[in-house]
Amino acid sequence: MSRTILITGVSGALARVVTELLIPNNEIIGVDVRPLPPERPFEGEFYCARYTQRKMAEIFRRHKPEVVIHLGRIRGTQVASSSYRYNQNVLGTRNLLDLSLKHSAKRVVVLSTYHVYGAHEHNHVGLSEDHPLRASQIFPQLADAVELDHAATSCLWRYRRLETVVLRPCNIVGPSLNNMISRLLRARAVPRLLGYDPMMQMLHERDAARAICLAVDSERWGIYNVAGEGAVPWSKAIKHAGARPAPIPHFMAYPLVGSLSALNLLFPKHLMDYFRYATVISDKAFRNDFGYSPQYDIVDTLRSVGASAAWHA
Amino acid sequence: MRLIKRLLDTFTKPLPGSMADSLREAAQVDAGGYDPWGLHPETAERTLRSMRWVYENYFRVQTYGIENVPSGRVMLVPNHSGQLPLDAMMVAMSMTFAAKSPRIVRGMVERWVPSLPFISTLFNRCGSVTGDPRNCVSLLEREQPILVFPEGVRGSGKTYWHRYTLQRFGTGFLRIALQTGTPIVPIGVVGAEETYPAIYNFEWLAKLLSVPYVPITPTWPLLGPLGAIPLPVKIDIHFGEPLVFEGDPDAPDEEIQGQVDQVQGAIQRLLDEGVAQRSGLTMLKLLPGGRP
Repeated sequence: MSRTILITGVSGALARVVTELLIPNNEIIGVDVRPLPPERPFEGEFYCARYTQRKMAEIFRRHKPEVVIHLGRIRGTQVASSSYRYNQNVLGTRNLLDLSLKHSAKRVVVLSTYHVYGAHEHNHVGLSEDHPLRASQIFPQLADAVELDHAATSCLWRYRRLETVVLRPCNIVGPSLNNMISRLLRARAVPRLLGYDPMMQMLHERDAARAICLAVDSERWGIYNVAGEGAVPWSKAIKHAGARPAPIPHFMAYPLVGSLSALNLLFPKHLMDYFRYATVISDKAFRNDFGYSPQYDIVDTLRSVGASAAWHA
Repeated sequence: MRLIKRLLDTFTKPLPGSMADSLREAAQVDAGGYDPWGLHPETAERTLRSMRWVYENYFRVQTYGIENVPSGRVMLVPNHSGQLPLDAMMVAMSMTFAAKSPRIVRGMVERWVPSLPFISTLFNRCGSVTGDPRNCVSLLEREQPILVFPEGVRGSGKTYWHRYTLQRFGTGFLRIALQTGTPIVPIGVVGAEETYPAIYNFEWLAKLLSVPYVPITPTWPLLGPLGAIPLPVKIDIHFGEPLVFEGDPDAPDEEIQGQVDQVQGAIQRLLDEGVAQRSGLTMLKLLPGGRP
């Protein structure tokens, strides 16, 4: 059965993998605040629009999507301006949800992140979906990500006529992704904090895309963590990706990353704690309810990212 | 790191094949060679190898009744003492070197440990996890042996004058045992109480430094780093019969307390008997205080 599916964030690589999986049986409408990258043509119909703009309403009016997949969260690693991120991530998401309700979309899948749980020394292993979202207390810079999550979950509880699925995946990495963690893993030498080596989970881009498709095709709704198979310490993750870990004492690393991130280099300082304390999530519920099982284990996943590094060629 | 590994491999004897196999099998690691808490059996093995001399020759550890430890999920509950968690290390090592089927013990550590560089990582690789009830329950569901000290820092930080006297036990461990149907093995560790005989604890300084305690011993801080070397006291570990409790894990504290008292009583008996059967008279026995 062909459905009209609206996907946000289609200029990014993950949305492309999702589109590839969905396009044979569905009509895909793509939206992104960024223009499409010229090297990757998009097979569906594409609109370049901010999620807060009136143009979004026109897209909904014209296409009446049955399913909305919101993958377009803007990360702190992409845009430094917190007000822009807040507008697009919080107000934009609310706008998308309101429009979905207004135009009687059946289902919404929102991609949040495991970062909302916050990296904290007291975190236990296997954080479940009902764990408090500590990130906004520890890192105010992540408030937009937490509020995006809240906007989606409150829609989930308030409007049952719109089946809402909120996915909180661990680090998504892959050969075609250009997010912070994949970029780091593709470097020759990758920084790590000396003396700290937290366990990290990695989700292959294909597994992430399959998880999103499972959420689209099912009739279940709710909040779900999504992880890959297994976890390894960050230093080992770097080695599996074929790079060399470069240990930096943490008292030097924080000011260093702080000054680099002020120049928009490397990654924002508040993400440093994710390389210091483990934030290991449990995706037991998603596996049980959606029959999900990742096809790539953590070693394959990391190798595939490393193999895509330009310096390997 | 590589240098440390090479040195250890050169200067320490590898564990017998069956022992190493048993450790790995019981650890249940994922595809990457780690379990979700960060246990890495190879690192744990290297650490055990490097500490074997301390276990066998320095503290001359002897175990009694280790066959009482059942297979599958189990909670090991010893008395806590000695400022540094040497007692935890010795109990964990006894489960490798003296047990019939060696297993890596999962020690529950204080919540501030993950903030310590190096130590937190090494502890994780060797099987320790943050003392959060949810970690404990998940590990028990994976049939892992848990090592828990219900006295916490009240036990490890006590001065020498309170040796072999159990401090107040928390009730959390018993609620978890009830919830998961886990047998509790009471353990009396005799000797570890004398490794760092603390004469005084600077409570005000500990508060100022945000650390659990600042002890002084006859040698520390007087002799500087040398004073931090523990006294070579012989350590005897007495494993009691497993205790299995039934009841509501959410019962009020006064109901749980009765069962906690049974565990505490069993450990105190093991300690009293262990101290009485100890041969020889050490200098430390002559000092006042303590139960015996």
